[in-house]
Amino acid sequence: MNLSFLPADMNWTCQPCGEKLQPGMVELEYMGNVFRVELPVCPKCSAVLISEDLAVGRMLEVEQLLEDK
Amino acid sequence: MEQKELRAWEALCIQEEPPACRAGCPLNVDARSFAAAMAKGEWSSARAILEKSMPIGGIVARICEAPCEQYCIRKDLGGAIALSALERVCVVNAPSRRKVFRLPPRPKRVVALGGGLSSLTVAFDLAKKGYPVTVYFGGERPGGSLNYFPEETLPQAVVKDELNHLEKLSVAFKPIENFTPDCIASADSIYVGQDDILPETLTVPIQHPDSATFALAEPGWFTGGMHGKEHRYRFITNISEGRQAAISIDRYLQQASLTSGRAALRNGKAKLYTRTDHIAAVPRKKPAAPAGYTLEEAIEEAARCINCQCLECVNHCKYLENFGAFPRVYARQIYNNSAIVKGTHMANTLINSCSLCRQCEELCPNDFSMADLCLEARQTMVREQRMPSSAHWFALEEMHSARTEGSLVRHAPGAETSDTLFYPGCQLGGIRPQQTLRLYERLLELQPLTGIWLDCCGAPAHWAGRKEAFTEIVQQVEKVWQEMGSPRVVTACSTCLKMFRDHLPAVPVESVWRVLAEQAAVDGDPLHVMAISDPCTARDDGDTRAAVRTLLKGLGRVDAPLPMSGKLTECCGFGGLMDCANPAQARQVAEARVAQTDAEIITYCAMCRDQLARTGKPVSHILDLLFSDLAHPAEEKPQSISARRIHRRRLKSALLNRYPAEQQEEKAAWEDVELIIPETVAMMMEERRILEDDIRKVLHKGANGGQHFVHDQSGLAIASAVLGAVTFWVEYTVEKDQYRLERCWSHRMVMRREKA
Ligand code: SF4
Ligand code: SF4
Ligand SMILES: [Zn+2]
Repeated sequence: MNLSFLPADMNWTCQPCGEKLQPGMVELEYMGNVFRVELPVCPKCSAVLISEDLAVGRMLEVEQLLEDK
Repeated sequence: MEQKELRAWEALCIQEEPPACRAGCPLNVDARSFAAAMAKGEWSSARAILEKSMPIGGIVARICEAPCEQYCIRKDLGGAIALSALERVCVVNAPSRRKVFRLPPRPKRVVALGGGLSSLTVAFDLAKKGYPVTVYFGGERPGGSLNYFPEETLPQAVVKDELNHLEKLSVAFKPIENFTPDCIASADSIYVGQDDILPETLTVPIQHPDSATFALAEPGWFTGGMHGKEHRYRFITNISEGRQAAISIDRYLQQASLTSGRAALRNGKAKLYTRTDHIAAVPRKKPAAPAGYTLEEAIEEAARCINCQCLECVNHCKYLENFGAFPRVYARQIYNNSAIVKGTHMANTLINSCSLCRQCEELCPNDFSMADLCLEARQTMVREQRMPSSAHWFALEEMHSARTEGSLVRHAPGAETSDTLFYPGCQLGGIRPQQTLRLYERLLELQPLTGIWLDCCGAPAHWAGRKEAFTEIVQQVEKVWQEMGSPRVVTACSTCLKMFRDHLPAVPVESVWRVLAEQAAVDGDPLHVMAISDPCTARDDGDTRAAVRTLLKGLGRVDAPLPMSGKLTECCGFGGLMDCANPAQARQVAEARVAQTDAEIITYCAMCRDQLARTGKPVSHILDLLFSDLAHPAEEKPQSISARRIHRRRLKSALLNRYPAEQQEEKAAWEDVELIIPETVAMMMEERRILEDDIRKVLHKGANGGQHFVHDQSGLAIASAVLGAVTFWVEYTVEKDQYRLERCWSHRMVMRREKA
């Protein structure tokens, strides 16, 4: 699975790094399953932004699917 | 679950057992479905239902004497459903859509002596199975007595039709005169149908057959059709004998046992339980014309069918109803669930949505316990490490908090021992802290040596199927009790009471309502009608239920009993952690509960009060009446999850204040983070199970040099923190020293920036 979850609005800056977030590859892991997805990331400290839409949408769906596996 | 256990569970639920009518039909006709189709005017499907079980349906439906009717549950409620007359009107009006269907031909040959009903049945049943059958009929035509019915009862054209159908199934008809000893030699099995006129040389030597298999002493020989005019149900009985003989012949020709695993005729003995006390008597419809029902009359008569079902439990439980079936089916689904190695566990939600309230046990004629079934399944899931971690997460967190930051045990201030320990229960402390304190005051007045014990009884761990964790809690609780000198425990929570009684039998435990009822005022003037909602954990506690009624009477309240109360009471939606695993269903359960009355509801469980009040109905707690100066309005919204946490801490610190020598626990730094929470965000937090505590921890970390994101134009900020198994996110703005919350969310997936 190679998915991109970049929000329409990428105008976020990481503090205290002062860096603008940029698309970056992130590994998401749940119950031993790993997914590579593209998310906004701070180029300096690697902090990742997970939007509300993603968390309560696709992410929740996948979590529940995996829990019932 | 082992297969053997599944069978035992399945056997308890009799919902799939045939209703009385079907059990009373020697051909096993599904009269209930037939009546349902007739009531809808679906004549063709009604006929198809008949022909599924009847041989030569056009004939049988016209002449069967309907022994089933004597067993019909409607019998004493206006008269049995007129199945005989309905079957007639059905086949008269709906032509058969039956196809000529025959299994591949088999080499073994069957001979039927006699062309009466029983022989035609043997021919029909065996021809369909692929056996070539030759019928040697007496008289001029096949059919025996069928040739002597009045035309309006059984038209000759119908008989002809059915005989044609048999011929298409490769049944050969020959006059009995053609029968020679050679025919015996070439047949593999012989049936002697005594319901036809046969030469005495053939019938006289026939002995009485075995009453279940209709086998004669001579191997391969069978007989039936033994009843004449003297028998009230002779036609259907002769047909039934033919069918039973055909079953035997098939088994004989396949060299199988004639008896093993053979279903015996039920003769009307039905295991299906059907409650009828709510069913009004409706008299049987009389046909206006002697010929029988018109179609309109038939619909009316068929609609009288009760559609016998058990479903006692399902009719009263939203949960059982929601999953679309009944416990027998659920037992199978749960069994299958545990057998899955790879693939989706479809029954996880089914297993985790039960409130474990045990109402089903009370209602079921066989005490089927969905609670035991689900609890065992949960324990298995936990043991096999496949319990979804999110299912009970929040309740277990709550329990943990109540058992750590919220817990306290002390003798009364200044006392060295306790005669009694007051154990309010974590939910009362969280939902009604002021009233909890007052209740403690009251108990101190009654018994100055009353200590206080704030803790959670471990019910959430038990309900979540966490056997090991629960056992550990029980041991800890017992240890604390011993360290306090093993006093009597008085609790304000029905669940705690039940947990103590079921799992710590050594602890003398009592309901606070009983203690208070002993002091209750003489009955006040009845002022106000209220409906008492008993918590489900008080189901087996008649004494406490009675004490509450005594207390309320003393307060001038009259009970307008809910239809489901006392031993039959039901859950508010919280029990068994339903609210955790299936919140939408918990709302439905509460709605259904409050819909049972127009009166104001009163309860004596804090959680019941809040769950039921969530529906918007006014609901009071008994403490609102006992301490009217501290009463909460019955319309008050439930306490938020955050408030419950904070209340527990405050209750503990208010109690600790009474021990000046003791140091108060220090507040954590994050507790001082000041929040502005708009109503919409408060709702979001409630629904997403995000606590103010969580948000304060996230923001406190962000404010102290922690990483966060800032939006370039709007000035909105987002901070996050991983707290235990969950990552929490907060979107906010800063106003002076306060944080105004905009949104919050969480997830369980763990993120890792990929190493380059
Ligand atoms: S009421 Fe209907 S389902 Fe019940 S026994 Fe009578 S015919 Fe059968
Ligand atoms: S009450 Fe429920 S569990 Fe019991 S037999 Fe009836 S349908 Fe089955
Ligand atoms: Zn950064």
